[in-house]
Amino acid sequence: MPIEKHALWSFFSSVKLTITLLVLVVLLFITGTFIPSPDVVQTFANHLSPGAGKVFLFFCLSDLYHSSLFYILLALLSLNLIICSINRFPALWRQYNAPHFPEPDGIFDNLPQGRIITVDKEIGKIKPIVKSSLKKYYGHIGEIEEKRGHFFYAQRGRFSLFGVYIIHLSVLIMIAGAIIGSVFGLEADINIKEGESVNVANMTKGNRLYNLDFSIRCDKFTVEFYKDGTPKTYRSDLSFIKNGQVRRQATLLVNHPLTFEGFRFYQSTYGIAPEIKAIITYTNAGENGGEMTLAAGDTFFLPQSRARGFVLRVEENIMQIGPAIKLRIVSQKKDVQFWVFQHLDQIVAVNPDLLTKMPMFNPGLFQPFVFSLNRLEQTYFTGLHLVCDPGIPLVALGGLLMVAGLIIVFFIQYQRLWVFIKQEDSKISIRMAGRSNRNNQQLKKKIDYLCKRINEEIKA
Amino acid sequence: MNHTLILSWVTFVYFASFVLYLFRLITGKEFWGRAASFLAWAGLIAQTIALILRWKNSYDLGMGHVPLANLYESMIFFAWTIILIYLIIEWRTKSRIIGVFVVPIAFLAMAYASIAPDISNRIEPLIPALQSNWLTSHVVTCFMGYAAFTIAFGCGLIYLLKNKEKGGVEKPAGFSAKLPDFTTLDTLIYQSITLGFVFLTIGIMTGSVWAHYAWGSYWSWDPKETWSLITWLVYAILLHSRYVRGWRGKRMAILAIIGFGCVLFTYLGVNYLPGLHSYLKA
Repeated sequence: MPIEKHALWSFFSSVKLTITLLVLVVLLFITGTFIPSPDVVQTFANHLSPGAGKVFLFFCLSDLYHSSLFYILLALLSLNLIICSINRFPALWRQYNAPHFPEPDGIFDNLPQGRIITVDKEIGKIKPIVKSSLKKYYGHIGEIEEKRGHFFYAQRGRFSLFGVYIIHLSVLIMIAGAIIGSVFGLEADINIKEGESVNVANMTKGNRLYNLDFSIRCDKFTVEFYKDGTPKTYRSDLSFIKNGQVRRQATLLVNHPLTFEGFRFYQSTYGIAPEIKAIITYTNAGENGGEMTLAAGDTFFLPQSRARGFVLRVEENIMQIGPAIKLRIVSQKKDVQFWVFQHLDQIVAVNPDLLTKMPMFNPGLFQPFVFSLNRLEQTYFTGLHLVCDPGIPLVALGGLLMVAGLIIVFFIQYQRLWVFIKQEDSKISIRMAGRSNRNNQQLKKKIDYLCKRINEEIKA
Repeated sequence: MNHTLILSWVTFVYFASFVLYLFRLITGKEFWGRAASFLAWAGLIAQTIALILRWKNSYDLGMGHVPLANLYESMIFFAWTIILIYLIIEWRTKSRIIGVFVVPIAFLAMAYASIAPDISNRIEPLIPALQSNWLTSHVVTCFMGYAAFTIAFGCGLIYLLKNKEKGGVEKPAGFSAKLPDFTTLDTLIYQSITLGFVFLTIGIMTGSVWAHYAWGSYWSWDPKETWSLITWLVYAILLHSRYVRGWRGKRMAILAIIGFGCVLFTYLGVNYLPGLHSYLKA
């Protein structure tokens, strides 16, 4: 292997590098949270010097979480992680497959008092007692007869040696999931007015439009408020329409997304559309003609006289006398324009000769029809967020693996235990000692407990 | 009985418990320690009752949600988890010394929640984004993590205090002889940090799952998310330097204190930055 390659390899296999990179990532994040907004930073950098502006633009430093600087750090960290893992694997594998016998050097020297049990019973009776006690707490039991005496070996939690690998693998899986999501994923927003359908979405990134091959209709939007005015719930009743057919109808709520054709839909916001709807009724020579819901610019048809109506204006409060709409009715004989006030009765009560003076204010100008404005309604629009992220299964898998790995590393330990039974003149001595990969305190307690138990059982 | 009244009594009880732990440290008499533990347990039980009453109360008001929905409720819950985890450790290790440093933090959280002028103790309705089953699991796991890190911080303080007085050598007499020995403190710091780390990891993950359902993205680089990741990374650095580079003692203590600073910023400091987690702004 050429020496340079070797140097590079050892550079990437050092934990010092890991810690340095992690510290750099932390510093980058801290800076990121204090940056006011991307535009401000870019303006500031341009102000500083044109060169600084270019550097900032090149590394996308104004949006640190998506900057090449961050991606480079992440790539180095991943490389470091992979090489560290490969480098340490042989030693770990040896540790995993370490032979049980002979026991580690000097493990039975200088044992504290409680760890040596001396009894004057037969060795043949003692062995099964020791073995069964060990079996209660340890999965794997080994046994060997030597010149020095009889040995037992017990272990548990050996797989926990791989816990660290599980955690590190989970980090790589999550990074992979995040990359897949950012490369192949899509995020967009759609605003739909009540009653309308839309098949174009505004992409969150890059201000572009995205054409869906289906359309979404907002059948109804409802919002409820608490007494203090904060919103309690808002929901959209949606229909997903493809090739002219309604494929799915469902209600969308905050925290309860919907899925259609690989996209997930979220109720992200709502608002009041700029246009107002007017609820209008009319009578035709005294006969009721039904109710219509119309906005400015809408047209309607009066079949009884083959006339076409146009809504010219919808006003919430015209001339301080309340809501009104302006209509134009065109038939073969006539073409008239007039206003319809919601509170016409009150207006006439104040100005009794209004309708004769100002025919424009007479809702019955197109005879024999008389129009009335029942009320105005605000139109809501619902704001949907739609997402397609193929990286999510990987990220979720990574998350689960990480929690499993952490629990294995922190709460399961690899314990190894050796018991040495020796004939000493007329008596028999039992010595117990152990090794664990971490937290020796727990192992000590376990050995003390086992010694006590074995001692009691032998006496019994 | 009104839960706010109970909570203000609990604040006082935690303060009294802290004073008794201090008495024990100064006089060295275990009587004061037992009294302090008794008060802490009493406070914990009373606070648990108050939290349940508040929970029930929210149903009576027609809102019906766990008392974990705003800054006031989270502060109270933070104090509750600190005392809970501390008392478990006290019971397991049979050592009362950390109480002097940990119980006052719980007291301060309670006091801050009730005194700070911009924190409302009213039960507020849940806005739609918070109406989720993930609220409880996310908040509980995060605060368990915070509480464990608080314990590590308390032990770190004791370690540095003792270290300053003696320069890292155990002496049989004097004030610092009443403090736990260096090995115990180091083990406690390490163990609480591992516990906190697991809880924080699960907390961040439940948060991500929730964000996935509520906002449509499991990670949005919201300042609170970023700071929780910063905190996570700081403790990850601490654990790596311990495992691989063998850092112990004073360095661990300093890192535990830095980590706690990150926890506090994630919890409170971030509220002054613009972001999605705006529910905690009082």
